[in-house]
Amino acid sequence: MSDASDQAPNFERLMGDLEDIVERLGGNDLELEEALALFERGVGCLRDAGKFLDGAEGRVEELIESAAGDFEAIGFEVPDHEGGAAGGG
Amino acid sequence: MSPGQIPLFGDPPDEPGPTRSQTEPEAPPPDAVEPAAASVEPVASEPPPPGTAPESAIPVTELNERARRLVEGAFGNVWVGGEVTNWGPHRSGHCYFSLRDDDAQLSCVMFRSDVQRLPAHPADGMRVAAYGRPTIYGARGSYQLVVRDIRAEGEGLWKLAFEKLKAKLAAEGLLDPARKRAIPRVPRRIGVVTSRSGAALRDIVAVVRRRAPWARVLVSDCRVQGDGSAESIAMALDRLVRHGACDVIVLTRGGGSIEDLWAFNEEVVARAICACPVPTISAVGHEIDVTIADLVADMRAPTPSAAAEAVVPETEVLQQVLRSRAGVLVQVLRRRTRHGRERALRAASRLNERMVTTVRDRRGRLERAAGRLDALSPLGTLRRGYAVPLDDEGRVLRRVDEFQPGGTFRLRVTDGNIHCRTESRSEAPESATAGETT
Repeated sequence: MSDASDQAPNFERLMGDLEDIVERLGGNDLELEEALALFERGVGCLRDAGKFLDGAEGRVEELIESAAGDFEAIGFEVPDHEGGAAGGG
Repeated sequence: MSPGQIPLFGDPPDEPGPTRSQTEPEAPPPDAVEPAAASVEPVASEPPPPGTAPESAIPVTELNERARRLVEGAFGNVWVGGEVTNWGPHRSGHCYFSLRDDDAQLSCVMFRSDVQRLPAHPADGMRVAAYGRPTIYGARGSYQLVVRDIRAEGEGLWKLAFEKLKAKLAAEGLLDPARKRAIPRVPRRIGVVTSRSGAALRDIVAVVRRRAPWARVLVSDCRVQGDGSAESIAMALDRLVRHGACDVIVLTRGGGSIEDLWAFNEEVVARAICACPVPTISAVGHEIDVTIADLVADMRAPTPSAAAEAVVPETEVLQQVLRSRAGVLVQVLRRRTRHGRERALRAASRLNERMVTTVRDRRGRLERAAGRLDALSPLGTLRRGYAVPLDDEGRVLRRVDEFQPGGTFRLRVTDGNIHCRTESRSEAPESATAGETT
């Protein structure tokens, strides 16, 4: 996977981070201050993940490659009735 | 039948063909039944009818041509059932073979353009039905069937081709279950290799929009049936791979005949899937149709909709995950400071319950709840002017007798620590403690 995919927050990664935080909080070797800082970071993960779920609105794009090999993802209207025999176009 | 009669052109007495005897348009001309003996003494003035005398012998070409017309006129295209023997591709690409049953055999030829439409060459001994036109090949004088299509019993040719490729891929280890990669549970962008006008794409988009509007769909258009479709599918997949933004790729098309779905059984598609660095889901045709693409993909879904359901979880499920994680986070912090009874932590645990009841539906609620969690976290409480006394090891000091006269401790306030020494201690009046437990 290339970096191009990393603009949106990665829900799974956020959940992974949160799990680490919970695990570290569970250990007893933390000062309260550290614990509070971790807690704060956990809240941040939750907020980012929530934002991700609330974002976007079912975007559909079509990938077009130019003769020069450049890519473009252009908005795509999904036909809402039978588009005829497959393959056309 | 009269045993003495020897017809030249008519049906032989024991000819089994039921269709020929009465309706034959080119039935023997009336003169053909003239007894052969008549040819012994030709009449000089009038040439004898063709074939009735050495002088009027019919050229081979003409006889064969007449025979060809007779045979072709009698049958047209027919399905002929038998067993394939001596299947032999020629350099030209045409294939020669025989069909036979217990008592008879028939020479057959299948021209290259027709052979190319077969999924696989039939194996010797395979029981098939061949569709073609019985004819006579004049140059050799041979009676043969010009075959246009071959169907083996139970879609045998397709199965043969399928099994062959499957065995080849298996031998390379490409069907090894250990190769299967996990499908990401929350993909941000889903690549879809399919026809941009097909029903499969519509089904997938509908499911993604309903369940997970936060996910984006990136379509890579291709032909999904007919000539060149396998190459088109492989190229569309490669395009998504090179673009590189998808977390998972679905290859799909709706239902159809085994021929319609065939592109997904082609080696070029299988190779492209195996080479794909991103996890793949194959959803081709209906539940009963299993293709090579299904075998090499990381996951097989029975239908396009099912593929979409497999690839995106319901938003509500993820929100439940968030809620439960929020609960766990609060719990673990609370446990961490179990002995303390600071208001902040009680507030945090109360928040847990509130989140469960308030964060019920979609947009914005969860974010707001996370914001509230933040506001009510111990840090928020400190910000509002509360302080927490801690000993040197960071343990919370909550009772008078935990402070040693003359000992040191620190007060954690919102932006730092105050280093303190205990001058003296005194128990609070009962009423104060009661007030604290509000």
